[in-house]
Amino acid sequence: MSTGLEREPSVEVTEGDLEALIGDRALARDDHLNAPGFVIRPDDVQDVLTDLRDEAGFDHLANLTAQQYPDRYESIYHLRKYADPTQEVSIVVPTTTDEPVSQTAEPVFRTADWHEREAFDLVGIDYEGHPDPRRILLPETWQGHPLSEGYDQEKPQLVTLTEHANPVQPDHHDDESDTMFLNIGPHHPATHGVLHIETVLDGETVVDVDPDIGYLHRCEEQMCQNGTYRHQIMPYPDRWDYVSAGLLNEWAYARTAEDLADIDVPEYAQVIRTMGAELCRIASHMLALATFALDVYGDFTAIFQYGMRDREVVQDILEDLTGQRLMFNYFRLGGVAWDLPEPREEFIEKTRDFLDGLPAKVDEYHDLLTANEIFQIRTHDTGILEPEVAKQYGCTGPVARGSGIDYDIRRDDPYGYYDNLEWDVVTEDGCDNYSRVLVRMQEVEESAKIIEQCLDLLEDWPEDERTVQSNVPRTLKPDADTEIYRSVEGAKGELGIYIRADGTDKPGRFKIRSPCFHNLSALPELSEGEYVPDLIASLGSLDIVLGEVDR
Amino acid sequence: MTGGQIAGTATSPSALPAVPLQETVLLPERLGGLTGLDGFGLGGELLATFLAAFIVGSLMLAMTGVAGPWAKRKITAAFTDRIAVNRLGPAGLFIILADSVRLLSKELVIPENADRPAYDLAPIVVASSALLGFAVIPMGSGIHLADPEVGLAYVFAVSGIASLGLVMAGYASSNKYSLLGGLRAVAQNIAYEIPLVITGMSIVIFAGTLQMGEIVSAQAKPLLTVAGVSVPSWYALVNPFAFVLFLVANFAEVGRNPFDTPEAPTEIVAGYQTEYSSVYFVLIYLGEFLHIFLGGAIIATIFLGGPAGPGPAALGIVWFIIKIWAVFFATQWLRSAVPRVRIDQLIEIGWKGLLVLSFANLVLTAAIVGLIA
Repeated sequence: MSTGLEREPSVEVTEGDLEALIGDRALARDDHLNAPGFVIRPDDVQDVLTDLRDEAGFDHLANLTAQQYPDRYESIYHLRKYADPTQEVSIVVPTTTDEPVSQTAEPVFRTADWHEREAFDLVGIDYEGHPDPRRILLPETWQGHPLSEGYDQEKPQLVTLTEHANPVQPDHHDDESDTMFLNIGPHHPATHGVLHIETVLDGETVVDVDPDIGYLHRCEEQMCQNGTYRHQIMPYPDRWDYVSAGLLNEWAYARTAEDLADIDVPEYAQVIRTMGAELCRIASHMLALATFALDVYGDFTAIFQYGMRDREVVQDILEDLTGQRLMFNYFRLGGVAWDLPEPREEFIEKTRDFLDGLPAKVDEYHDLLTANEIFQIRTHDTGILEPEVAKQYGCTGPVARGSGIDYDIRRDDPYGYYDNLEWDVVTEDGCDNYSRVLVRMQEVEESAKIIEQCLDLLEDWPEDERTVQSNVPRTLKPDADTEIYRSVEGAKGELGIYIRADGTDKPGRFKIRSPCFHNLSALPELSEGEYVPDLIASLGSLDIVLGEVDR
Repeated sequence: MTGGQIAGTATSPSALPAVPLQETVLLPERLGGLTGLDGFGLGGELLATFLAAFIVGSLMLAMTGVAGPWAKRKITAAFTDRIAVNRLGPAGLFIILADSVRLLSKELVIPENADRPAYDLAPIVVASSALLGFAVIPMGSGIHLADPEVGLAYVFAVSGIASLGLVMAGYASSNKYSLLGGLRAVAQNIAYEIPLVITGMSIVIFAGTLQMGEIVSAQAKPLLTVAGVSVPSWYALVNPFAFVLFLVANFAEVGRNPFDTPEAPTEIVAGYQTEYSSVYFVLIYLGEFLHIFLGGAIIATIFLGGPAGPGPAALGIVWFIIKIWAVFFATQWLRSAVPRVRIDQLIEIGWKGLLVLSFANLVLTAAIVGLIA
């Protein structure tokens, strides 16, 4: 349960083992900075992934990156272990430009379903045997694949009127059955943004759920590919999980780019980063709690307003620190933008005051929320997500920890200053909506512990050693064809970024691994067979932000 | 638990016939006398009755007017650490005016496939069914329109008509969310109307009559006297168990938290009222508030001694309104603080819990009253 070593260590798989396991199915090596990479044939995908999962324990398909080179398409399966995310392996599957067909990985990892749809949608790789080969982010009528070579952005998307029919028009499932087709969203009080859930109901029971995403797709990956490493990319991460998790997102980019370009971060800046990130986590979890209460209570009730009220205090502190309330843009490669605001004592005291008041507030939440019997009968044993299913869908963060999966990047793949601090990873075994709420509430307390320790450190830090940024070249040009996948523990789970450098000062490929994307894809597992109110509650308990799902 | 209290009032049911029935003058007659309309035969009587009904109706509508746009916001704001309306007039009171103009001047959007007569009638049915109920409620200070012998049965009957309005609204809107809301409303009303009526019957056993005026005067006798202060034998004090049962069933009946499943904004958008706009929306909303007030009026009448309270009898209406608003306040409190139960849990609580308890209460009450008599 703690940062230490109590967890049962997973068997270390060496590169030699991997080479032996993959054997002559490996055509070549294509190592990434974070992991050994093996190039395999497009029709060996399921074989190799199954072996890696079953024989070597790589049970977490963290990400799937698709990209096009002048001479080939490439799908990269980033595999890690839930038991130890520092053990990684990349499986690179090239296909020809003429016939970009690759075997689907969906039977091995359910999460590949959505990922491969996205790869098809944006890059244009076909996955053979995919159960549901539709576009995912763009409309079905879209012409071309925006991230493929030679895609003409200027060309208007001509869609005939008949093809451009109202996507929420269909109003029945099939004529024979007694079921009812119901569009929940894209405009609905409980979808937390523009999410469209195609639902089939049998009475009040949910028979089928199909989340339809993409309404908030803003080409974040491509925008990052058009920005320079040094300054132009950092503002974007704030806009992925835009509600309050800004610094956590920025850290994902900072960590990846710093590892890619081999940049050191001063210890002092790491402490500030850790503190800021945890403040963001508190704000984000407060909002998650508030909106979940909104979903279960049904109105803008006391809990919702209390959540907003307490989050407001955190926002104030973050505003003092960064100058912004949501879109912080505070991290820099090699550190942070500036030191704590002057007068330091005042800032530290203000933050301490907040932390001191927090236990009472958490108690209040427990009184109002988790101790309420109606709340308990509403959330216990609803939205069940078994750990094995969660792993199949690549769920991370509070959603995974609510299913008893002891997985937290902050501890398992340490970065920042987390390693030197005392705190615990919270898990609950209930696998239901109640557990997920409980995990978030306890994580707020853990974050408070971390901030407390950071404040102590910052207060006593010698004045002449307060370096907030290391020396970083004005222009960063990482070597061509260096590839890296790095992740941090965002508010919703493992927020990862894959970058391929192409020798210029802008990334050749920038891929975002969004935890919400994975968590949302598990929604059908949570809600099918339950009642409509439970579907809504489960959706709320996943705590998705559509800005991060659609990117 | 309740037995002791009931035994304590052993004298009240048996002594009831001995109490001289107070000859109350109903409002239409009094108005007829005051204005001299009763000299004009049947026509004058009708006019006086209409006038009286107009006064009572206006009073109730005025209360919903205050409750909807203003009090509801202020109460919820107080519970949730906010300020709410405060720009127009003292404490934002003039928002009532602004809101009525706003709501009434909105465009009336009617869905293409709406089932017209039903769609138009539904809001009227919802609102009027509640207003009808007030006809037999003794509000004190002489405001009492009619006092038929079947008063209590009449109130339950007319307020039950609202369910019909909700089904009409849900079905005729040609919207799936409305349909789900309508279905939920019916399921809920059936499940909770029975415990409601049965608990009401246990009061009838005490009072020995369905007539509202009688039920009120039966509660006027002192239950016990402590240090010179006599506690009236309000049925809420005589049988608190029935009071709680009735309160819970009533919250379900008017569809308020934790039983607001027919509307359930986060689940089925707004339930049966999803497709209603402008005046129709106002009518439905009005109807809901009227039903809360009617629920409050019934509770006040059969459990809280009707218009009884300290001070001269002329203050009756003030006490009565205070009691109604107390019930309204309770609904808002619950709305802010209590989660909503799921529809299947709601039905289960209704049929397996409340129904059984209300029957137990009825049988127990009957047995005890029978024993004493």
